[in-house]
Amino acid sequence: MAQNINPHYASSSNPAKQNEDTIKLKDNHAVSKRLQKELMELMRCADKGISAFPESENLFKWIGTINGPQETVYAGHKYKLSLEFPNSYPYAPPMVKFITPCFHPNVDTCGLICLDILKDKWTALYDVRTILLSIQSLLAEPNTHSPLNQQASYLWSNQPAYKKYLDEFYNKHRDS
Amino acid sequence: MSSTEPSQNKTWELSLYELHRTSQEVITDATEIAVSPRSLHSELMCPICLDMLKKTMTTKECLHRFCNDCIITALRSGNKECPTCRKKLVSKRSLRPDPNFDLLISKIYPSRDEYEAHQERVLAKLSMSHSQASLVNSITEGIKLQSQNRPQRSRKNQEENTNTPNANGIAETPTQNGGGTVPAPKDGTSSTGNPTPSVQSTSNPASVRSTPSPVPSNLSSVSKNTSTTKRAKSILTSERSEESESSDGRTEGENSMDTEGEGEPLNPNEIELVFKPHPTEMTGDNHLMRALRDSSVRYLKTTANASVDHLSKYLAMRLTLDLDAELPEAYRLLNFCIYVAPAPGQFVPLAGSQTLRQINDKFWKVNKPLEMYYSWKKT
Repeated sequence: MAQNINPHYASSSNPAKQNEDTIKLKDNHAVSKRLQKELMELMRCADKGISAFPESENLFKWIGTINGPQETVYAGHKYKLSLEFPNSYPYAPPMVKFITPCFHPNVDTCGLICLDILKDKWTALYDVRTILLSIQSLLAEPNTHSPLNQQASYLWSNQPAYKKYLDEFYNKHRDS
Repeated sequence: MSSTEPSQNKTWELSLYELHRTSQEVITDATEIAVSPRSLHSELMCPICLDMLKKTMTTKECLHRFCNDCIITALRSGNKECPTCRKKLVSKRSLRPDPNFDLLISKIYPSRDEYEAHQERVLAKLSMSHSQASLVNSITEGIKLQSQNRPQRSRKNQEENTNTPNANGIAETPTQNGGGTVPAPKDGTSSTGNPTPSVQSTSNPASVRSTPSPVPSNLSSVSKNTSTTKRAKSILTSERSEESESSDGRTEGENSMDTEGEGEPLNPNEIELVFKPHPTEMTGDNHLMRALRDSSVRYLKTTANASVDHLSKYLAMRLTLDLDAELPEAYRLLNFCIYVAPAPGQFVPLAGSQTLRQINDKFWKVNKPLEMYYSWKKT
């Protein structure tokens, strides 16, 4: 019995595993291709106020920069973010975090961002460019109803005070 | 059949465009309508993989197109909605194959498979040479510097790179590139290294993305194809303003990266240059010159942060790829000496660490492409 089952088991599982591996490799290749394509597009027509580039030779981790939107309290500020792409990209969103500490109702102290398109509202059509643009507009228009940063949310209604606190916060933390 | 029936009880929501659009006359005579490669590209592209559509599937309700594999994976990975417009997509049955569209693509790009196969080969070749990693690295540093004008901060980011001394003392543009980087031919491969008909390379979006590393948009080369070279020449000799320096006429019909740049003014961080063989050191009986023939003059547009070392490595890669079989083994991985000619007949050899911006500022104050000369030297 055991003699019958074991070889069968071994012979069937081995090719299957191999198959899985090649699929994974192929997928990985497709993800790199898409990321390369995005990078080309980003470099070809640079948007005002956002930029992004792979951190090192690893195409799956990028560093993005967002300029604070004009005519908002964030104007003149510059924020760095990290974007980590899963192997399931673009079917799953990248993990996006602020590297430069950001005082904002929807950003927590670790830099995590509460933004629907980075979670359940993600679709494969979003890309690095649209993510950064969305975060840029989130800076200008926070959702103060479900804040990650209570203090920022509370202060938001008083823009002069918010601006004052924000500038101090930014100047203190921007190099950390 | 079954798909049309339930639609009778449905209220169709028409968009403003749909409500107001007028019908187009069917063309029955020999009228031809020119379509730019760029708009063609966006029509034939799958918005998920950004490649050309493969086994096109169309959503039955909202009529958005995707590759079969892409949309199936998208549906499986969660949201049961159209990735483009979020309309509900219950299952595969909300999609229909679109063989007409596949036919259309195969008519426009008849040798697509061959072309993609070639791209894959180029990709494999280049990733073997590890050029990608170092190139990406060096460009990253360049970009960091561009984005950080404060000299203090940029210094902080340089740890791992040997910073070359800045000859001109321009604090904003320290050269970041140690000797170890090898710029790969990038998008250039999609044009010049391509054996398939030029229609193919004109706008095959698939090709461009299969090139190994992501620099193409700012390291573009135009050469080989004599007609393009001629066109480039005529543009280069004509006077033009900074605004009119679009890559438009220069590269039309060459590759999509360039054609897609239509109408955009030259970025101030980019520099255009003409590469010519050194008139005395590269004489006609030189093996290399014979192999080069009409592709010896090269037009480039690249970032002003690129150094002479980059250019020389780029050139070596480019030529090796272009000439491939024709080039004798001994001539592979060539070393080039690069000169700038500030005045006719005067050739100033350049140090590897100098950036194009420095060279441009020092030797080339006029508003026309930088003229540089290369000569091959034995190591």
